[in-house]
Amino acid sequence: MTKIEAIIQTSRFEAVKDALKESGIEGMTVTDVRGHGRQKGHTEVYRGREYSMDLLPKTKLELVVPDRLAETVIEAILKSARTGKIGDGKIFISRVDEAIRIRNAERGEDAL
Amino acid sequence: MTEAVLLDSLRRECDAARRALEADFRARGDAAAALAGRTSLADRVLRSLVSTLFPARPEAPGSCCLIALGGYGRRALFPCSDLDVLLLCADAPAADSVRAPAAALVRMLWDLGWRAAVTSRLLEECDRFELDNPEFSISLLDNRPITGDSALGAALRQKILPALAAREHAAFVRSLAEMTRERHGKHGHTLFHLEPNLKDAPGGLRDYDVACWATAVHELARHGTQGRPRGWTAPESGWGELLGEAASAAYRFIAAVRVFLHYHNGRDDNRLTYDLQEEAAGRSIGVPGAEPLRTEEWMRLYFRHARTIARLSKRRMDEVMARPSLYSAFEDWRARLSNADFSVHRNRVFCRRPAALADPLFLLSLFEFVARHGLELAVETESMIEQALARAGYAAQWPGDGPSTGTQLRRILHLPSAGLALRVMHRLGVLDAVLPEFRAVDALVIRDLYHRYTVDEHTLLAIEGLHALPHATFDPDRRFAEILAEVEQPDLLYLALLLHDVGKGMPGENHVLSSFEAAERACPRLGLAPYECDLVAFLIRNHLEMSLTLQRRDIFDPEAVRVFSELVATPERLKMLCLLTYADIRSVNPESLTPWKAEMLWQLYAAAANYLARSVDVTRLAPSSGSDRELLEVVRGSPALAALAKPLAAFLDGFPRRYLKLHSAEEIAAQFEMARHLEERLVAGDLHAAEAQLRERRGQYELTVVTRDRPRLFAALTGVLSSWGMNILKADAFSNRAGLVLDSFVFADLYDTLRLNPEERGRLLGDMEDAAVGRSAPEAIPRRRFARGAAARSRATLATEVSFDNSCSATSTVFELVARDRPGLLHRISELLADARCNMEAALVDTQGEKAIDVFYLTRGGKKLSEAEAQALRESLLRGLDAG
Repeated sequence: MTKIEAIIQTSRFEAVKDALKESGIEGMTVTDVRGHGRQKGHTEVYRGREYSMDLLPKTKLELVVPDRLAETVIEAILKSARTGKIGDGKIFISRVDEAIRIRNAERGEDAL
Repeated sequence: MTEAVLLDSLRRECDAARRALEADFRARGDAAAALAGRTSLADRVLRSLVSTLFPARPEAPGSCCLIALGGYGRRALFPCSDLDVLLLCADAPAADSVRAPAAALVRMLWDLGWRAAVTSRLLEECDRFELDNPEFSISLLDNRPITGDSALGAALRQKILPALAAREHAAFVRSLAEMTRERHGKHGHTLFHLEPNLKDAPGGLRDYDVACWATAVHELARHGTQGRPRGWTAPESGWGELLGEAASAAYRFIAAVRVFLHYHNGRDDNRLTYDLQEEAAGRSIGVPGAEPLRTEEWMRLYFRHARTIARLSKRRMDEVMARPSLYSAFEDWRARLSNADFSVHRNRVFCRRPAALADPLFLLSLFEFVARHGLELAVETESMIEQALARAGYAAQWPGDGPSTGTQLRRILHLPSAGLALRVMHRLGVLDAVLPEFRAVDALVIRDLYHRYTVDEHTLLAIEGLHALPHATFDPDRRFAEILAEVEQPDLLYLALLLHDVGKGMPGENHVLSSFEAAERACPRLGLAPYECDLVAFLIRNHLEMSLTLQRRDIFDPEAVRVFSELVATPERLKMLCLLTYADIRSVNPESLTPWKAEMLWQLYAAAANYLARSVDVTRLAPSSGSDRELLEVVRGSPALAALAKPLAAFLDGFPRRYLKLHSAEEIAAQFEMARHLEERLVAGDLHAAEAQLRERRGQYELTVVTRDRPRLFAALTGVLSSWGMNILKADAFSNRAGLVLDSFVFADLYDTLRLNPEERGRLLGDMEDAAVGRSAPEAIPRRRFARGAAARSRATLATEVSFDNSCSATSTVFELVARDRPGLLHRISELLADARCNMEAALVDTQGEKAIDVFYLTRGGKKLSEAEAQALRESLLRGLDAG
């Protein structure tokens, strides 16, 4: 099983969610996060005062899928989250050793 | 009969009876039968066990009595509730003699599947209030003898408890209050939960019990055994007709749901989970015989009933609370708030003129009093209002004059405790009468895991959330508090909040549209002026836009900011929409407005505010093109403007589009008339003509000048106002393609000159006209000696900030100044700009508390300033303002 963690622009979340749904993927965990990579923060000067956001708001998606679906998910995210500008985000891939459904103790891919 | 045989027989009897009771409840949904049935079963079992286990001691001195307590005592034994029993003994020898049988009793009860708690006490021990165990003393109020020495039971009921209640009334009531407060605290002091606890949460069955106990203690203390005329089973008889009936119905509903939960869960679990709500609705639990309800409708019933029980409990406790004299002396300091109509006693409002409650405006003035002082109504005042409403038939038709009602409602909305007043009005049905649109959302449930509150509760919380902002001490709330302080008509913002979600209870897929249509009906009825109706309608129509922009757009993308800013179009609408969004999100559930979200909201607000300040001249009106849609809409929508159409076009040509947003159609028509009159004078040969008009507006003054542009014009006009001692709070200056200048100033009359000397208005207008055409210099007007006083008034220190931007306008250099506000500031700034030979294409002036925020669109020689020129001007302004 593969865990896919994607940090994307918040404004692209709806598009990514729709794209994943079209690919048959519905289960995910979504978190509001802050951060930046190469993208600089944002400073707004309002009435003589500076309001800086060094850590910019982003949205993190986490999905665990069977290995055979990993590339499908990655492609869906890449296509729908991309704007071409710095700040589009990143995708991280890792292996998952086991998954267990709490309700009935199902294990493995059946638990996804 | 041996114990084993007895146990076996009783076990079969209990199992059969339990199955029968459950089957009967499933078939008929009759909770009263289920509770009575289980109580009777417990009685039979106990009597059987006692007759076998206990020694026969028929009513001799030193005997014992078995007494039911708690829900068992009330004959309301829920399927999985504990069995609370008191083994009351006359003396210690009696207690010793039944120690072993009592232990056997408990063992056998547990063997039979009853979760029994048997407490032993001597009769004399019941005669003191147990401070470390108040629950026991309170539980005695539910006592019901089952078997044993009847004289002992009678002694407890008729002698011990009445004396205890009379002697320890304050301790009983205080314990009830503290236990309730602690219990409510565990449930967030709210009855609104996604999965409410039917027993312990506010509005639950325990609150009903508290009302019964408070009544019992009070009646016992007053009347001894005579205080319970129908025995110990009908406390409702003292609650009043309206509330009593509603409370009984509420109890029956929630009791039925609790029975359902117990049978479903198989244990004493009183949490109405999300899934079980659906099942309960489908089985019409609590409404036997009714068709299955949609879950939202069924939960709506639940919340209405919970609200009734919460109100009952609070009301009963209010009636019986006796406070220590020191506290009542403290509370009574607020009695000085009393006036001819209302008196204040122990933090409660009483009405001195009950007959006047039939007058709708007097009734509203009572709520205005509540909103101003943050005081609850006394129970008797509420009763008087209920009776007055019923007699006058207010629920059917509010008899008050619409505009007067609207004026009072707006006053209520603006006051610090508006939330409290609105809650009381809602509770008593007055809010629904004044604003029938609100009826649609009474206890309306939006059933998802995000909306915790019913729609009416969400609305009231939103209003309270805004009123709480001035007390904010930390960012980002503090920043929103600053915005609120700048809003010119906050009552309209609160009115928009009150109506923003009423559409959710109306037919139609789109609640925003339904709410908007409801506002279009309500606002004119309440006497709002056309521009006020438009403003409220705009806020409601767009109340989700800012939130959607946060979610779906990159708020750091200038294009996204531009689109949003052009939707709001004016700084005032932006401020109000931002605050409405803040309040709306914040009151969805306690966690909905995260610091992250609040920060994002603030960033979008600041970006949009900056865009609006720096984009005044991006687009200008072009009526001659015939395709200026927005302009055409404004003209067609106003009879005053439609009649002027063609000559109006020349007047408007070249004004920034912002002009249409900042002024109502009536104002534009009036200003056009000024321009036409000026034109007539110029044509007639009066080459030094200028037109000026003055009007009073909400305690301030608005002065408009229409004249031909000339150098140092703005400096001259601000100089006159400064010389007169007027503090300019807002100003805008626009010019059209024909070189006509329209300057508007909103100012405060620091010396109250104009109010005290109305004839001075003409003189001020004359001075303004003279200054506009250069007929006189402001220096010629005797200067008011206000500078020293004004400086002493303000101790704020604020560094002057000047910045410029050559990129946001195609034709002008935009300067932004932030400085400590003081009389004469704007005149000083405009003099410095005039000295630097800058032409003012447009100006936006605003004041935020001690801070003046001014934006100027400047050119020199018809062009933008170069970077070097702008930098030099910046330094000149900083030097000139810091010196002045």
